[in-house]
Amino acid sequence: MPAPKLLTKDWDKPSSWTLETYRQGGGYQALPRALKMQPQQIVDEVVKSNLRGRGGAGFPTGMKWNFVRKETSFPKYLVVNADEGEPGTFKDREILLRSPHLFVEGLIIGCYAVDCHLTYVYCRGEFRDSAMARLQQAIDEAYAAGFAGKNILGSGFDLEIHAVFGAGAYICGEETALLESLEGRKGYPRLKPPFPANAGGGLFRQPTAVNNVETLANLPVIVTLGGDEYGKIGAPKNGGTRLFAVSGHVKKPGVFEAPMGISFKALLDEYCGGMREGSTLKAIIPGGGSSAIMTAAEAEWASDFDTLKAKKTMAGSGGVVYLDQSVNMAHALANLMRFYAHESCGQCTPCREGTAWLSRLLDKIVAGKGDKRDVDNVHQIARQMEMKTICALADGAAMPAKSYIEKFRADFDALVRG
Amino acid sequence: MIPLGTQSGPVESPFTPEQQQRFDAGLARAVAKYPPDRRKAALLAALHLAQDELGWLSEPTMAYVGFRLDVPPVRVREVVTFYTMYRMRPVGRHQIGVCNSISCWAMGSEKILKHCSELLGIHPGETTRDGQFSLEEVSCLAACGNAPAALVNNFRYVENVTPESMGALIGELREKPGTEMAKGPLPRMPDPHLHEQSQGAPQATGSLDGPAVSTHPEAGSTEPR
Ligand SMILES: Cc1cc2nc3c(=O)[nH]c(=O)nc-3n(C[C@H](O)[C@H](O)[C@H](O)COP(=O)(O)O)c2cc1C
Ligand code: SF4
Ligand code: FES
Repeated sequence: MPAPKLLTKDWDKPSSWTLETYRQGGGYQALPRALKMQPQQIVDEVVKSNLRGRGGAGFPTGMKWNFVRKETSFPKYLVVNADEGEPGTFKDREILLRSPHLFVEGLIIGCYAVDCHLTYVYCRGEFRDSAMARLQQAIDEAYAAGFAGKNILGSGFDLEIHAVFGAGAYICGEETALLESLEGRKGYPRLKPPFPANAGGGLFRQPTAVNNVETLANLPVIVTLGGDEYGKIGAPKNGGTRLFAVSGHVKKPGVFEAPMGISFKALLDEYCGGMREGSTLKAIIPGGGSSAIMTAAEAEWASDFDTLKAKKTMAGSGGVVYLDQSVNMAHALANLMRFYAHESCGQCTPCREGTAWLSRLLDKIVAGKGDKRDVDNVHQIARQMEMKTICALADGAAMPAKSYIEKFRADFDALVRG
Repeated sequence: MIPLGTQSGPVESPFTPEQQQRFDAGLARAVAKYPPDRRKAALLAALHLAQDELGWLSEPTMAYVGFRLDVPPVRVREVVTFYTMYRMRPVGRHQIGVCNSISCWAMGSEKILKHCSELLGIHPGETTRDGQFSLEEVSCLAACGNAPAALVNNFRYVENVTPESMGALIGELREKPGTEMAKGPLPRMPDPHLHEQSQGAPQATGSLDGPAVSTHPEAGSTEPR
């Protein structure tokens, strides 16, 4: 079946980001339909659609929204995670640059569904003059057209939308760190529970749904097709299409819309034109830098959340990096670990010390000064970091550390003494 | 003396009248995004506004921003030191950040960094003696499909960079006024410390003839032996 283009159909049109282009392609027709439904009906459709959060954890969006709806404390918020910082991930930026209105329409529908009247889109600071500027233009156009503001399309629903930006910190992509940052503080993840969806855990301690940009961009599609139809696309319990952000040694890197669950081999061959001239596939990062590595032999694996979880890696952020034979995986891991050591917020000892140790050990190994014990130590330190910390950054550092060694031990051994 | 606790009185503004006007207007817009009892939430935005004007955030600037939002200076400092886009020292008129995360690294970002180092005569983390350029190594910019990617003056993306295109960019920045980090006239003097490491992105060491980058994270305190 040729992959349906649900999110990217306007992307190649000239001035694809304008309201005019979006409306010509049928944009803002889902919103009036949604506003005629009961909010709970929309959430029910989202539950049926099997939409899973595209930010990294793959949490069922409908379930998250039901948590927020059940809370009796008002106001409630929907906060958008546009902090895109996971190494290898660049699809939210493309959405904001190329079809911001699709996202804005989804956002308005989402806010209506969770009964939110004031929403924030938290963009990473670096986006201010590019992706966020496009977004702001789209928000302004939406206000002018009566899709945002007071009494939207005569429905009686009011919504204020604000785009705000951070100041450079990967950790602010973690949802509770994001909320801290949004409240004007440094981005220290909060201890959970209470979760953001619950009273006491969200923005200004109110019940809050935190959702990724791409997650929300699916809402107009779900309202248009209905949850059941949408859910038929993709894999079981993993509804819809996904925007795979592909980089590395492929012929044609970029963001590709493919059904959830497409195999990594099909993604490579059918969408990216295969590996570059002279490149042979060696390894695949399946879902952003924090995911466990896959070997070339594992390229047949399906890319949905549940399959990859069962295979002890993760679909994560949808950032897929194909690496070729020129890469020594110990060097690649050393690069990743510098990132985590730099980005750890430092609250939890296993993470702060662990990432720093891993980074130094790996730097020593790639400098040719390590021995076999150092490689074993990397593996052991990584194991000891898991499941002990306030947020998942530490696990996101441990997962690659363990798996790179388990699957590519020879690359490490080639660099160390006996 | 900068008080560390709550403000006791008004703090003097670091801005010229023209800068003040822009700052005040920007602050009003930022504060208006939040509920009236949540003005402090605009702190990150206010710091960006101040840095847009001055190029970096000195202690008096931080104290002033805190004063405007009723945030104690120590809390302001905490925020400024946490986020990498804020500068606590004067940096170059132009700041070049080369992404060295996994996809850019796989596509040759170390070569780009090395080339920039050679062109500018500085290592990542340093500022040229004439105060024109700072070079940094930055984390994934979410532009990995067009790797290697770089970021100029915090907000301008340049993608698919090559050693040649970086050379051209540096030449262009040198000649074009109005593209620098700060909008206003810079209250910065050529400073004997300029050649030191600037605060921010990963700290780098190494010599120009060795590999361009080998980064040692500041996080953590224990040396594995
Ligand atoms: C260290 C860390 C970084 C994260 N970075 C991002 C990010 O940049 N963008 C994002 O959408 N989610 C990110 N997440 C996931 C969020 O915490 C959260 O799960 C997500 O925003 C929820 O939205 P979704 O349910 O729509 O996916 C990160 C998580 C962790 C632990
Ligand atoms: S796991 Fe790491 S990044 Fe997350 S809260 Fe703890 S120290 Fe901070
Ligand atoms: S790795 Fe350089 S932009 Fe993502």
